[in-house]
Amino acid sequence: MAITEEPPLELTTGSAPAIADRPLGVLTRPQGSVGWRSWLFTVDHKRIGIMYGAAALVFFVIGGIEALFIRLQLAQPNGTVLGADLYNQVFTMHGVTMIFLVAMPLGAAFANYLIPIQIGARDVAFPRLNAFSFWCFLGGAIFINTSWVLGGAPDGGWFAYAPNTGVLFSPTNGLDFFAIGLQITGIASLVSAINLIVTVVNLRAPGMTWFKMPVFTWMMLVVQVLLLFAIPVITVALVLLIFDRLYDANFFNVAEGADPLLWEHLFWIFGHPEVYILILPAFGVISEIIPVFSRKPIFGYPFMVFSGIAIGFMGWGVWAHHMFASGIGPISVAAFSISTMFIAVPTGVKILNWLATMYGGRLRFTTPMLFAVGVVSMFTIGGLSGVTHAVSPADTQQTDTYYIVAHFHYVIFGGVILGLFGGMYFWWPKVFGHMLNEKWGKLNFWTMLIGFNLTFGPMHLLGLQGMSRRIQTYSSGQGFDFWNLVSTIGSFVIALSVLIFVMNIWLSKRNAPNLPPPGPDPWDGRSLEWSTASPTPEHNFDYVPDIESLDDFWHRKWGEDENGRIVRLASAAEIAQDGSRTGVHLPSPSYWPIVAATGLPLIGYGLIFNLWLSALGGAVLLGAIYGWIMEPADDPDAGHGHGDEHDDEHGDDGPDDEAPAAETEEVAPVG
Amino acid sequence: MSAARRRPGWARLGILVAALALLATACGDKPLDTMDPAGPEAQSIKDLIVPIFIIAGIVFVLVQGAVIALWWKFRVDEPEDPADERPGTYADDEFPDQVHGNLNLEIAWTIIPTVLLAVISVFTLITLFDLDGVDAADDDLRITVVGQQWWWEFQYHLDGNTDTPPDFVTANEMVIPVDQQVPLLITSRDVIHSFWIPRLNGKQDAVPGSEFEWVVEASEIGDFAGQCTEFCGLSHGYMRMFTNAVEPAEFEAWAAEQVQSAPLLDEADEGFEGQQVFLANCASCHIITGVTSHVDADGDNLADVDTWDVYDGANKIVDPAILTAGVAPNLTHLMSRNTYAGSFFDLYDDDGNVNRAELEEWVFNAPEQKPNNPENRQGMTSFVGVLTAEQLDDVVDYLETLE
Ligand code: HEA
Ligand code: HEA
Ligand code: HEC
Ligand code: CUA
Ligand SMILES: [Cu+2]
Repeated sequence: MAITEEPPLELTTGSAPAIADRPLGVLTRPQGSVGWRSWLFTVDHKRIGIMYGAAALVFFVIGGIEALFIRLQLAQPNGTVLGADLYNQVFTMHGVTMIFLVAMPLGAAFANYLIPIQIGARDVAFPRLNAFSFWCFLGGAIFINTSWVLGGAPDGGWFAYAPNTGVLFSPTNGLDFFAIGLQITGIASLVSAINLIVTVVNLRAPGMTWFKMPVFTWMMLVVQVLLLFAIPVITVALVLLIFDRLYDANFFNVAEGADPLLWEHLFWIFGHPEVYILILPAFGVISEIIPVFSRKPIFGYPFMVFSGIAIGFMGWGVWAHHMFASGIGPISVAAFSISTMFIAVPTGVKILNWLATMYGGRLRFTTPMLFAVGVVSMFTIGGLSGVTHAVSPADTQQTDTYYIVAHFHYVIFGGVILGLFGGMYFWWPKVFGHMLNEKWGKLNFWTMLIGFNLTFGPMHLLGLQGMSRRIQTYSSGQGFDFWNLVSTIGSFVIALSVLIFVMNIWLSKRNAPNLPPPGPDPWDGRSLEWSTASPTPEHNFDYVPDIESLDDFWHRKWGEDENGRIVRLASAAEIAQDGSRTGVHLPSPSYWPIVAATGLPLIGYGLIFNLWLSALGGAVLLGAIYGWIMEPADDPDAGHGHGDEHDDEHGDDGPDDEAPAAETEEVAPVG
Repeated sequence: MSAARRRPGWARLGILVAALALLATACGDKPLDTMDPAGPEAQSIKDLIVPIFIIAGIVFVLVQGAVIALWWKFRVDEPEDPADERPGTYADDEFPDQVHGNLNLEIAWTIIPTVLLAVISVFTLITLFDLDGVDAADDDLRITVVGQQWWWEFQYHLDGNTDTPPDFVTANEMVIPVDQQVPLLITSRDVIHSFWIPRLNGKQDAVPGSEFEWVVEASEIGDFAGQCTEFCGLSHGYMRMFTNAVEPAEFEAWAAEQVQSAPLLDEADEGFEGQQVFLANCASCHIITGVTSHVDADGDNLADVDTWDVYDGANKIVDPAILTAGVAPNLTHLMSRNTYAGSFFDLYDDDGNVNRAELEEWVFNAPEQKPNNPENRQGMTSFVGVLTAEQLDDVVDYLETLE
């Protein structure tokens, strides 16, 4: 190939030029691995994952409180809890918060923490970019929420249809915060997607081919590809909106000849892939949980992988099913109606393969298993109502009613939230070194399930009886009174469940010293992350593992005797890496990701209030970029001269990284 | 142990499903019920969706049944552990058959849903194309429906010619003859709204700059409630409307009344003072045919031009305020209607008397009755501090003469 020339690889460790260690002598890297500074400047994917998760849970409480206000306003006809304007702000911020600040970053938390240790890598491909992504997300999230005190929150609904979002109809700054803030969080999502894709493509452990990767990693890879293609489209739409609002461009001004459906197309070309960005992480999580607690391998692994890819790709061709009533014409409606229905096929394959995994298994209903099975059960309800939406003539009756509110809360809460809660219970010992309490966990699950069905089940009825969504008030005599009250009661049951979860976190932490440590592999897991110590050591693995099969770690613990019976080859404690190795080269912390991320909200505030603030933010960002580039590759006292992108991983460590394989050669591994 | 905890949730869900089935077919006081069609289009949609709900219900029962059956048949008890902090552990010999997959099963449960969805697709397409298109003759009644924050306007073209000015304009309530398909042209003056009379047909968005064809047809006489369903800003929740289906003869009589102009009163006539108050305060926004003359910058009377002609370059309205507030409900025959202000308020009480106190409150301080934003030229302004009690009394007296 001539297009890019590459020299032969030099694997010997030459002496690096002395200049590399201190190019300017002043831009050193922070030190220390404890204390708050170690979190502020970390580039460790595990800490970044924890911070994503913590932030998402905080916003979940915020979004949940907003939901409770919605339910209180709607508990009775002619409610007076919230006025119309405030109600519109609350439901908009509830939707934006839950989608962009809770569900997406919670998925990112799992991805960041687990992908490297599931593929045998020491970190993500670009650790500083990873830190930048997190701080960018947090900056954008805080930026959007400051709108409450800086002129009012956005009030256009989460999909913010033009021309209602124009200055003429929405004169306050709320929608400026919406458009700019989502661009900032979009940058975080996009950078993170590139980072994680490169990590999976390039940094898998030796021998881990594509079809030896865990289903979770596969689903996260599909999600990152979806983000890569979807975020730029919403970015263009938000740029056009900001041009309209701040600079009087006329992209959505109907009086100047604009077509308001342009926004609808752009938003949903992003928005429909977005819904699979939400659900696929949860599908990946329960694909890891169900096999462990059935004590069987996942049924039909290749079909699970391909169905996830199919869902991700097919999602690109169905966006206008959100526009069946908007006048796009019967031919387009027919095309999108049919293509939408058929996404049920790969989704059904997933449902049935999970059930088949459970079939004939030894089912132990631990808390993570309860959540996983709950997803299978509840998501199916939401999926089926989705198919009824795909029946386009019926959708013209159901769209923009509480029937659709039921659909998407069953798929999002019943799929995403339940799934990720199950993932938290499953991986908590790996992340924190102790378990969440099972009794409290089961109480959390059952109250959540009951509350969830009490809240959103009645919405199917309300929608079919004609209750519109996004209305702040309804009258008695319309038949909506009883079920709205039931729904409101259910939402407070969910709040109780969330409180139980928070209490479980605190109590489990407090009681952990009195209990035996869970060890590296508390559940007899199948994938690679269970082969290293708990909590995960900073360097992940003492030695980069050599992978020979799907569920390689499991096959090193269990083999088959001459009668075909499964026998233990070794205990997890014997073969798991204990994390005791020292001197492993790792990327150093860095000041610049958080500095760079600070510049973006300043630019945003400047665009809204005063351009000098934008200049300040731009200066901060540019300075951070220069600092980032000129920063030495490593802590200057670390004694290494390598780049921080792990390009020398195998060259440096070489065969020393291989775990001893002799023990398993005597017995043929299962499968 | 866990079985006892499971039952309440499942039982409740079962009750919900049963309730859904019952209520979906029961008649009740549910004016917006999508499952209670009163016209052929809504009936077609119901006929399409009920079998699909049944199919979905069967799939639901199969999946939930499978989950419960798997739980029942393959669950194993938790090991005895005093601390109950090490759940999920298995004995070394506790392994089921390690089945990795079955190609025939995968093929089966890929093909079966595909076939099922193919069948559903066929019926969907049949209904979709059946509902598309207009059966009415070219000279049958057509109505242009205009959404505006936060109420609906109806422009009647009795001879079906939508290229000429309407015969008359009314608001909030659309009267149609029963058993006749009435084509609609749906559009908007400001943001996207959605026109929906659930017992007659599904929704069609009202998109500014576009005119979309839709139809309504009623098979029975009655008042059919509607609601704007696309979020359109502050008072989206208060943007309702009605379709009144009447006998054709009654429709003809009603239309004959609606084309009449209101008289321009002399000083000696009853209601003269009220008309003067109206002309001084209300005529900048409202039209009463025969009384007001609302013109744009080029001198064209807005009532005489098609909605979107005002956006032609040569005839552009100068003041954008008019875009949202300048075209207010036509009040020529206000008293012939039953509701007002986005059909959120009743004009008459149960005894057939005018709700005069409410109407006075509305005229005096509309933003207090229904969220409006007149400072941003959205909705009706407040006359607190503008109208005296006597003037308010006069103008409402005058409104009551607008039969
Ligand atoms: C996690 C998020 C998520 C997921 C996974 C889905 C999944 C699906 N969604 Fe949903 N959807 C949303 C989130 C999601 N959706 C949101 C947020 C909105 C509204 C946004 C807004 O307006 O604010 C929306 C809106 C929405 C609409 C627009 C309605 C309208 O506005 O008028 C439609 C229409 O087709 C639709 C369809 C579907 C379909 C067909 C699926 C399918 O993927 C589901 C397939 C799954 C199953 C079918 C169940 C399992 C399958 C089997 C057991 C096999 C057998 C089944 C059959 C034979 C049917 N969705
Ligand atoms: C991830 C997505 C997600 C999640 C989880 C939820 C969760 C909930 N949603 Fe939401 N919802 C959306 C996404 C989501 N929603 C979207 C996208 C919309 C559309 C917005 C739009 O139209 O623009 C919407 C709209 C929407 C509506 C329609 C509003 C309208 O159209 O007028 C309603 C109505 O009831 C509702 C209710 C709820 C409820 C009761 C919950 C509950 O499940 C929430 C429960 C959570 C809690 C209750 C946590 C609170 C916790 C505590 C209070 C404990 C305190 C603890 C400490 C302080 C330590 N949602
Ligand atoms: C700024 C423009 C404006 C002015 C001035 C104005 N109105 Fe209105 N009026 C409106 C709008 C807009 C509506 C529709 C409000 C809604 O439904 O949300 C309305 C609605 C009404 C209605 C209800 C009509 C219906 O069928 O819904 C009445 C009655 C009414 N106005 C009377 C008056 C009177 C009397 C005055 C003068 C004292 C007046 N209006 C002045 C804009 C105006
Ligand atoms: Cu008009 Cu909502
Ligand atoms: Cu979609």
